[in-house]
Amino acid sequence: MNMHKDNMTNTKNTNLIDDSVISDPVMEEQIARGISDLLNNRAQHLKPELEQRLSAARNAAVNHLAEQQAQYSTANQVAGHGHVLRWFGHAGQNFEQHRVASTALIVVVMLLTFFAVQQFGSTHNLENSDAFLLASDLPPEAYADKGFDAWIESN
Amino acid sequence: MDRIQLAFRWVLLSFLLVAGVASADEANQTWGQLTESQRQVLNPLASEWDTLRPWQREKMLDIARDYPKMSPEKQGLVKKRLTNWSRMTPYERENARKRHQQFKALPDDKKRELRQKWNEYQKLPESERAKLRAESPETYGDSGIE
Repeated sequence: MNMHKDNMTNTKNTNLIDDSVISDPVMEEQIARGISDLLNNRAQHLKPELEQRLSAARNAAVNHLAEQQAQYSTANQVAGHGHVLRWFGHAGQNFEQHRVASTALIVVVMLLTFFAVQQFGSTHNLENSDAFLLASDLPPEAYADKGFDAWIESN
Repeated sequence: MDRIQLAFRWVLLSFLLVAGVASADEANQTWGQLTESQRQVLNPLASEWDTLRPWQREKMLDIARDYPKMSPEKQGLVKKRLTNWSRMTPYERENARKRHQQFKALPDDKKRELRQKWNEYQKLPESERAKLRAESPETYGDSGIE
């Protein structure tokens, strides 16, 4: 009975609301509490058919969310191959859908890197190659002759 | 496994395989299979090329590859010294490479001094040089070229 009275009071309160009251923060909190109590109270006395409909709606919403998450994770797997493409902004996001393009791009980048490293390595090792040793100021025998070492030390 | 990942691995593996096979093939070429430019550079080794081991041929082919990048004067030196170089043992060659690196790091006056000393050493009788070699330990230390 008390609860019913409270509800009635809440109902009266909500009916009496006008814009000037809402602008007061204390009153606004009281009104919110009243609405919340009213909803909780009504929720205790729902008809079985309504409960069933709500349950079915909840299940449908959960299933829909699960499907969305599954689609998102599949899309992410595709994107896993094409993260580089994301750097290109919106155009890159479009390309994420194209697995073959992503793979081809990565292969091309790897090949280019390989050739660049080869080229840099050959330039870097040029001065250390045997050809340059043979063309050195001293003949190769001078570097390998241990008698020459001994003779230098003794002199 | 994802098909894309599998395809990607196949491409990479094939590429490495092709690169490896190409390198091995080059080292197994006979004298007749070399290109004209390679034969010109490696001409001092013509008679013994087919008896060289693959790793020896590979090193000589590296020399032929770098040869065009050198001045005519240096190219002449390479041709002149190639035969002696091919007759050195792998141990001697490896030590020569190390010594060459040390030599390159020396200041110009030290290099000049060593060149002069080498000329003087060459004027010693062969018996004396052989004696010096025989008396020297097998290991190649850092003495001499410093």
